[in-house]
Amino acid sequence: MNVVYTDVLVIGGGLAGLRMAIGAKRRGHAAIILSLVPAKRSHSKAAQGGMQASLGNVIKGQGDNEDVHFEDTVRGSDWGADQDVVRMFVNTAPKAVRELAAWGVPWSRVRRGDRDVIINGQKVTITERDEAHGTVAQRDFGGTKKWRTCYVSDGTGHAMINTVADRAIAEAIPVHERTEALALIHDGGRCYGAIVRDLVTGALVAYVAKATAIATGGAGRLYRVTTNAVICEGMGHAIALETGVAALGNMEAVQFHPTGIFPAGILVTEGCRGDGGLLKDVDGHRFMPDYEPEKKELASRDVVSRRMEEHIHKGKGVKSRFGEHIWLDITLLGEHHIKHNLREVYEICHYFLGLDPTKEMIPVRPAQHYTMGGVRTDYTGESPTLKGLFAAGEAACWDMHGFNRLGGNSVAETVVAGMIVGEFIGDFCDRPENAAAVPMGLVREFLDRERAKLDAMLSGKGAEDATALRVAMQEIMTAQVGIFRIGGDLERAVDSLQKLLVRSRNIGLRYRARGANPELVAGYRVQKMLKVAVAIAYGALTRTESRGAHSRQDFPRRNDAEWLRRTLATWKSENDTLPTLAYEPLDVRKMELPPGWRGYGSKDYVDHPDTPGRVAEVDAIRKQAGLDRFALQAKLMPYEHLLPARFRGQNERIDERFPQAVAKRAAS
Amino acid sequence: MQTGAEVIAGVGLADRPRKSRWPARMDLTQSLSGLVLALFMWGHMFFVSSILVSKDFMWAITKMFEGYFFFGRAFPGIVSMVVFGVLVIFVLHAFLAMRKFPANYRQYRMFIGHKNLLKHGDTTLWWVQFVTGFALFFLATVHLYQMLMHPGDIGPFESADRVWTGRWWPLYLVALFCVELHGGIGLYRLAVKWGWLEGKDADASRKRLKAAKWVVTAFFLVLGVTTLAAYMKIGYDRRDDPGGRYTPAWLVNPPQAPPPWWWPSWMRETPK
Amino acid sequence: MTNGEHRKLKISCLRYNPQEPGAAPRMQTYELEEADGMTLFIALNEIREKQDASLQFDFVCRAGICGSCAMMINGRPGLACRTQTKDLPASFTLAPLPVFELIADLSVNTGKWMRAMSERLQTWVHMKSAEVDLKRIEERMEPELAEEIYLLDRCIECGCCVAGCGSARMREDFIGAVGINKIARFRLDPRDARTDGDYYEVIGDDSGVFGCMSLLACHDVCPKDLPLQTQLAFIRRKMAALGWK
Ligand SMILES: Cc1cc2nc3c(=O)[nH]c(=O)nc-3n(C[C@H](O)[C@H](O)[C@H](O)COP(=O)(O)OP(=O)(O)OC[C@H]3O[C@@H](n4cnc5c(N)ncnc54)[C@H](O)[C@@H]3O)c2cc1C
Ligand code: HEM
Repeated sequence: MNVVYTDVLVIGGGLAGLRMAIGAKRRGHAAIILSLVPAKRSHSKAAQGGMQASLGNVIKGQGDNEDVHFEDTVRGSDWGADQDVVRMFVNTAPKAVRELAAWGVPWSRVRRGDRDVIINGQKVTITERDEAHGTVAQRDFGGTKKWRTCYVSDGTGHAMINTVADRAIAEAIPVHERTEALALIHDGGRCYGAIVRDLVTGALVAYVAKATAIATGGAGRLYRVTTNAVICEGMGHAIALETGVAALGNMEAVQFHPTGIFPAGILVTEGCRGDGGLLKDVDGHRFMPDYEPEKKELASRDVVSRRMEEHIHKGKGVKSRFGEHIWLDITLLGEHHIKHNLREVYEICHYFLGLDPTKEMIPVRPAQHYTMGGVRTDYTGESPTLKGLFAAGEAACWDMHGFNRLGGNSVAETVVAGMIVGEFIGDFCDRPENAAAVPMGLVREFLDRERAKLDAMLSGKGAEDATALRVAMQEIMTAQVGIFRIGGDLERAVDSLQKLLVRSRNIGLRYRARGANPELVAGYRVQKMLKVAVAIAYGALTRTESRGAHSRQDFPRRNDAEWLRRTLATWKSENDTLPTLAYEPLDVRKMELPPGWRGYGSKDYVDHPDTPGRVAEVDAIRKQAGLDRFALQAKLMPYEHLLPARFRGQNERIDERFPQAVAKRAAS
Repeated sequence: MQTGAEVIAGVGLADRPRKSRWPARMDLTQSLSGLVLALFMWGHMFFVSSILVSKDFMWAITKMFEGYFFFGRAFPGIVSMVVFGVLVIFVLHAFLAMRKFPANYRQYRMFIGHKNLLKHGDTTLWWVQFVTGFALFFLATVHLYQMLMHPGDIGPFESADRVWTGRWWPLYLVALFCVELHGGIGLYRLAVKWGWLEGKDADASRKRLKAAKWVVTAFFLVLGVTTLAAYMKIGYDRRDDPGGRYTPAWLVNPPQAPPPWWWPSWMRETPK
Repeated sequence: MTNGEHRKLKISCLRYNPQEPGAAPRMQTYELEEADGMTLFIALNEIREKQDASLQFDFVCRAGICGSCAMMINGRPGLACRTQTKDLPASFTLAPLPVFELIADLSVNTGKWMRAMSERLQTWVHMKSAEVDLKRIEERMEPELAEEIYLLDRCIECGCCVAGCGSARMREDFIGAVGINKIARFRLDPRDARTDGDYYEVIGDDSGVFGCMSLLACHDVCPKDLPLQTQLAFIRRKMAALGWK
C-alpha cells in the first residue's frame, strides 16, 4: 500500500491552499499541497482586477474602514452571508494586503498630486494627498461605497500567487503537482486524508493527515460559458459531497460576470468599468443608468448581469453569428491608461478577438464566473459535520459572500481565509487528541474502493461517452440554471441531470491506459461534476425566492421570512441521484446589519419576522452617545474573540493613525 | 537548500562559501579580447587596403610599423612584437570562447536541430560565429605564425608574391570572410550582450544595430576582396620573377624621382 | 470573421508516451476543418474529443495568463491557447517544448523545472525582518518602482524562453532567461535584503548569467514581451562588475 503521511494535507495550490499551508507550516506542522497543475498555474492567477481591503489610502477611499467594507459585503451578499465571518474577514483584509506587501507583491502605489480619472463617463481631476504617497493604491469596483480594491496593475492575482507560491517554496513546503484527490478518507465522523491519483503515472496513493483542507477553487466548468479555467470543475466540492457527511452550502448561488468576451467567455476585468468603461447597446446607447441610476455600470455583478440580459431580451443586443452581445466601451479611458493599467485586457482583445480596445468596443456578455457555494464550514474553516476536514477559498462556504460576492472580495477571501484557517488548523493539530492513530484498515478500504472504480471504468464495457455527457450537462446548466431561473426549466434541468448522472455510471473508454489518460480523467470527473450540478439545480429549484445571484422569474422577491436560510446539500448514498437538502437558518437577532434594501437592484422584499425588532435594537444602540465605532461595533455584534490572536487588533490608516505614530509625527 | 525560519529574514546568506569570481573575469575577458581583436581587424584591414592607394603608400605604412619614422631606421622586430601581442589576445579569446562550443556530439546535434527548427536570426548568427571562429583557429594561426617569424616580409611586392606565387590567396580569401563575419557578428553581440547603445527602445536599437552590422560587414568584405584582388594582380604580374623587395623610386634614384607630397622631407635615405 | 469555405487543417503532432513500454516517438497527422476564430486550444480539444482520446496536452486558463500550454508551434515556442490557426499555414506541426521532462505527447513538466529554478535562485523576497506588524501602515514605495517591479514580475514561467534558448538546449543546467529575469526582479525590489554579492552566489557562473550567449531568442519568443534583452544585459553588467571586487 502506497501511503504518504503528513500533518496537514492541503488539496489545492491556489492562493487559499498556499496561504493555509504556509500558516500551518509556520505553526510547526508539516504540510503537503496537492495540485492538478503547478501551483502558480492555479486559477487564482487569472484574477485581474484586485483585492478589497479598507486601507483608505486614495482620496476616493478616504473614510473607508472595516465598517464600510462590512456593510458593502453584507449588502452584496443580499444578507446571505454569515456576519461574524464577514467581520473577521474585513478586519483581516488590510493585514493580508500588508503581509503580501511585505512578502513582495508589487502593489500599485499612490502618487501624490493631481490625476485624471473617468468617473461616470466624465473626466474628473482628483488630488491625492502627500501623506498617502507611496502607500498601496485602491481603485473603484462594483458594489462598494469607497474605492477599496487594491491592485497590481491588472495582474493582481498573478502577482499575488507568484509571491505566495514563492513564499511556500521559501518555507520548503512540497507541492505535489499533477496529482488529483479522488476521495476523502473518513469514517463518517472524522476525515483522515485523501486518496490521490498521480496524473502522470496513474498511481494511487493514500495521503494520511491529521487535518485535511480543501482549497480546490470554483466549479465554473459545469457551465458551457464561463470565465473559469478548464480545471475549475468543482472536484473539491464533489469529493466533500461524496463523503455523505460533509455538506455543500448554498450551491445554487452562482455568480455571472457581466463582461466575459463574446463568445469565448474569457474575462475582461471589472476594473474596465471601475476605471470608467461603459456598457452600450446596439444603438451605442449607454443603458445602465436607465436601470440603475445610482450605481450604473458599477452596481453589483448579479444586478449588472441581469440588466444586460434583460436589455438583450428587449431586442437591444448586438446580433452576431454566434448570438447576441453587448458592447463594453473603454476607448474613452485613453491609450496610455489601457496599455498600462489594463494591459491584460489589451492583450486578451488583441489575441482572442483581434481588436484594439483603445479604438474599438469589446463584445461582451455575462458568463458564469464564481461559485459562492462550497464546502460548508464554521468560522474556523472546519466542517461542522466532518471533523478534521477544513476548507477555504472559492471551494468553501465559510460564508462571507452569501448569495453574491463582490468583485475583489474573492482573492481577498483566499488569503484572509488562508491566514485564519491556517491558524485554526495549527490549533487543531496542536491538540493531542487529534493525533490519534489512523485506522489503516480504513485507509486500505478507501484505496481499494477507488482502485476498483477506476478498474471498472478502464475494463468495463460501458457505452456512454464522457465528453458527450459533459457537454449535455454544460448546456443544461447554461440554458436552464443560468442568470434567470424559472420553475419549469429548473424541474426539467434537475430531471435531465439525474438522467445524465445515471448514464454516467456506464461510461466506456476508447483509450484504456492506466497512466496519463485524459479520457479516463474526463470519465471519472464527469461523474462527480454531475452530482455537483444536480446539487446546484435542485437547490435552485427548491429555493422559491430571488436572492443575490439566484434570480427566480417566478419568485422575483427576496423572501427573508421563509428563505433567510442557508441550503445544505449532502449526498447520502452512492445510489442516490439527488442530494438531500437541509436548511440552516440565519439568526436575524444577532445581525449587526439587519436585512434591508441593498441600495441597488430590486427594492421589493419580504421581511423576516425578527427584522423590525432587531432594526429597532440596532438603532437604539447606534443612538447611544459616546461610543466610538469600535465600541459601537462590539456592542452590536462582538466577534473579535473569534479571530486567532495573531490577527486581532485595529488597523492603522492615514486617517486613523496609531497614537505612537501621531506622537512621533508631532515630535518631528 | 535553506528552509523555513532561516530564510524568512534572509539570514544564513552571509555564511555561505563565496563563489569564485573567475567566471565573471573570464566573461569580461572574452568580450574584451573579442573587442580588441575586432577593432584590430578593422585597423588591419585599413592598413592592408592602403595598397589600393598606391604601392608607395602601402610601403610607407609597413615602414611605419617597423618604427622607421620614429627611429629613422626600420626594425621588423617591432612587427613581431605586435603580432605576438595579437597572438596572445587571440589565443586567450579562442580559449575563452571555446567554453561556449558544443562540448560533445550530443550538444552539437542539439544546437543544429534547434537552429534549423527555430529559424531565428540571432541564433543562426551564433552558429556562423561558431563555425567561423573554429575556422579561424587554423586560418588565423598560420597567418600569425608567418608574420611572427617573417615580420620583414611585408610590403607591396613581398606580400603580393606571397599571395600569388606563395599561394596564400585561397587562405586569405576564406580567412577574410571568416574574420569579417565573425567580427561583425561579434561586435553586434557585444552590444546586445552588455546593453550598449540600447537607448529607450531596446527592440528598435537592436534592429538598428543589426542593420549597421550588415553594412559594416559588407563594407569590409568589399574592401577586403578588392584589396586581395589588388595584391593578386601585383603578384600575378610578377609571377615570372618573384622575390625581391619593393623600394620607392625616389629612394632608389633621388632626385630624378621626386617623393610624393606626404613623404616627410627629412627622410631621404633607404630604410635598412 | 468570415463565413463560407474553411480550410482543411493538417496538424502533425509529436506522439510519444514514455510511460508506455516500447513506445517510440512518431508524428501523427490529424485533419480537421478550420473554424472562425479557431485557436489551438479549440483545435486540440476538438481532436481529442472527436478523433483521438489519447492525445495529451495541457491547458488551464486558456486565456494566455497561466503559461501551461506552451509548445513548439511550427518549430517556435508559443502559447497554444492564444495562437489562432488563421495565422498558421494549413499544415503545421506541434511538438512538446524541449529541455523540460516529457510527460506525454505535447505535455511537459515545466512545473518541476520551475520549482527547481526557484529553489536554486531563491526567488523570494528575503525580508529584512522576519515579522512585520500587520496592523501598521505598509512601507511606502515609489509608484514608478512598483510598476517596474511588476513589469518583470509578469513572467508566467511558461518555459518558452528556455525552449527557445540555444544555450539551454546544449547545457541543461543553464538557468535561462526566466531565472535571470527573476534575479533582476528581486534585485530591483528594495524589500529584498540581498546584495549583488548574494545574487552572484546563485547566478555568477557559466550555468547562470555568464552562460548566456545573447542569442536573444528568449526575448523574441516571450509571450509576455518581457524586456529580457535589457535585463540579461543589466544583470550581466552587475555580476561582471563583481569580478573585480
Ligand atoms: C477570470 C477571473 C478573474 C477574477 N478576478 C478576480 C478579481 O479581480 N478579484 C477577486 O477578488 N477575485 C477574482 N476572481 C475570483 C478569484 O480569482 C478566485 O475565486 C480565487 O482565486 C480562487 O482561489 P482558490 O485558491 O480558492 O482556488 P484556485 O486558485 O482556483 O485553486 C484551486 C487549486 O486546487 C487544485 N485542485 C482542484 N481540484 C483538485 C483535486 N481534485 N486534487 C488536487 N488539487 C486540486 C488546483 O490545481 C488549484 O491549484 C476571478 C476569477 C476569474 C475566473
Ligand atoms: C581562433 C579564433 C577564434 C575563435 C575560436 C573565436 C570564437 C568565438 C566564439 C565562439 C565567440 C562567441 C562567444 C560567445 O557566444 O559568448 C566569439 C566571440 C567574439 N569573437 Fe571570436 N573567435 C576567434 C577569433 C576572433 C577574431 C580574430 C576576432 C576579431 C575579429 C574575434 C572577435 C570576436 C568578438 C568581437 C566576439 C564577441 C565577444 C563576446 O561575445 O564576448 N574573434 N569568438
